[in-house]
Amino acid sequence: MTDMAQAVRLARVDLTLVFRNRTALVNAVLLPLLIAGALASTDITGGTAGIPAAQYLMTGMMAFILIFATFMNLAGFYAGRREDLVLKRLLGGPASKAAILGGSALGATVVYLGQVVILCVLMAVVMDTGAPADVPLLLLGALLGAAFFSLLAMAVSGLSSTGEMAQIATLPVVLLLVGGSPVMLPQEILPETLRTPIEFLPMTPIVEIMRTAYLGLDYIGTSHEPLGLLERWSAALPSLGLLVAWIAVAALLARTFFRWDPRRG
Amino acid sequence: MTTDVTERALAVDVAISATELRQRYGDFEAVKGVSLAVRKGELFALLGTNGAGKTTTMEVLEGYRPATSGTVEVLGMDPYRKRRALSPRVGVMLQENGFLPDLTVAETVGLWRDLHAEPRSLDESLEMAGLADKAGVRIRQLSGGQKRRLDLVLSVIGRPEVLFLDEPTTGMDPEARRATWDLIRDLVKEGTTVLLTTHYLEEAEQLASRLAIMHKGEIQVEGTLEEVIARHGDRISFRLPAEIPLDDLPRIEGHSADIALAGGTPVVTYTITGGDQATRAHTALVPLLAWAGERGVALERLAVRTASLEDVFHSVVKETA
Ligand SMILES: Nc1ncnc2c1ncn2[C@@H]1O[C@H](COP(=O)(O)OP(=O)(O)O)[C@@H](O)[C@H]1O
Ligand SMILES: [Mg+2]
Repeated sequence: MTDMAQAVRLARVDLTLVFRNRTALVNAVLLPLLIAGALASTDITGGTAGIPAAQYLMTGMMAFILIFATFMNLAGFYAGRREDLVLKRLLGGPASKAAILGGSALGATVVYLGQVVILCVLMAVVMDTGAPADVPLLLLGALLGAAFFSLLAMAVSGLSSTGEMAQIATLPVVLLLVGGSPVMLPQEILPETLRTPIEFLPMTPIVEIMRTAYLGLDYIGTSHEPLGLLERWSAALPSLGLLVAWIAVAALLARTFFRWDPRRG
Repeated sequence: MTTDVTERALAVDVAISATELRQRYGDFEAVKGVSLAVRKGELFALLGTNGAGKTTTMEVLEGYRPATSGTVEVLGMDPYRKRRALSPRVGVMLQENGFLPDLTVAETVGLWRDLHAEPRSLDESLEMAGLADKAGVRIRQLSGGQKRRLDLVLSVIGRPEVLFLDEPTTGMDPEARRATWDLIRDLVKEGTTVLLTTHYLEEAEQLASRLAIMHKGEIQVEGTLEEVIARHGDRISFRLPAEIPLDDLPRIEGHSADIALAGGTPVVTYTITGGDQATRAHTALVPLLAWAGERGVALERLAVRTASLEDVFHSVVKETA
């Protein structure tokens, strides 16, 4: 069996288990939808950065909800399963390391993509925003974001001694990575000194790519002008590059901190 | 030249080997130069007290970590570096289960079947696990013994050539333990090479063609059950008659007597090793009784103890204490 086939099989198990475990179901599946749904249904008037505030927020949410299924919950899964010797047991079988870790990441990514689809439907139907302008770019942003947070979840799990501890340990990381990023508010309102460092945070390119892809307007630069297909992708290129660099950093952290065995040494 | 050929012929027969294996955890050396060879098709039992280093040795052989020093080979390959090549051919059952408690028995077996290229069928697996009527039950509802047996079955779902079992029957009642022994015997009959750790001496006596006793990171005794027992020797003991001076005690076939105080009275013990295992105790008794007859003394509390694995085990633990 190939790594990919094994990973898909293991992802299926994870999806089954997310729906059998009430905590995981709430934290990974329902909570992000509730937050996004609440935002969508409130009557936010006025505009942000040239579009209705609700549209700005919802496209930000599409990136922000990565932190639930593919980061907090996943970090808890990895750490909990290490402590329960599930990872070690699987490693003793025919599945490769990549398939075991990738399987859980894949399962989490499927949950996340499902949530993105629900948000898209909410926007297109309820909020009358219309369909996403660039589905491939939207998907690419989502997948790279999921890869980044999954790798980071592996790293955090290695630094925590239980699944619960791992979930808690993700919170400061979330604050650090998401705080100030243009999830809810445009960077233009921030003082110049903060803007540059925030440009380089991993959440910033994810939000920018997904918002630009959905709306078809330039939210990578500051023009917010409509962009054609080629213009969109060339505008997105630096953000994609930055994101890939962050993925490499997260992979390095995962390599350094991830542990298969609860016994140290 | 000839030894070279012989060595190579032997090596072909060896499925699992460790040579001068050492394993440290920080400053602590858990395994201190272990060498062992398990031949294809045999069941080798690694006995030892808790903390002896059995699990550490197993985990190096299973490829979980590289050896600190020394070499290990499984089916002619380095298990750590060739994990991918070996994993379809090797079955591993760890000392502790690692189940997903919210899956059912059938789902768990199904997952393991799907991860293998040519697995045993679901029905056969459930049958082997003795859980045919529990297919729909969640893992968390199973008893400790049932989980252990299921874990054993998971490790052989892909029909491995080499099987590592780390304390496979811990937590089982005597009935379940016997059923598991039958299962392991069947696997050996199918041709599986098994390295098993246990601290149940009877388990080793029942299953092993060869065994080793490990204590404090080292193998102290190794061989077939008969060899290990033969080397340990039979014991003949009696109270030292009050009127007999120590140096008057006879020598038996070159074995002199040990004296130990038991409840204030000196007790003499002869250890009879070598010779024909079946008759050596008898052979040793003849001159001893003749000597007692000549002296006109009765040997009080005279006892002949044929060595058992338990004796060997206890003396290993005592001598290396
Ligand atoms: N990861 C580890 N870190 C530190 N010490 C360990 C580790 N694993 C095992 N040990 C120690 O090594 C010794 C041997 O352990 P183990 O191999 O589990 O023995 P056994 O299986 O024979 O009971 C014990 O003293 C144990 O405490
Ligand atoms: Mg052990």
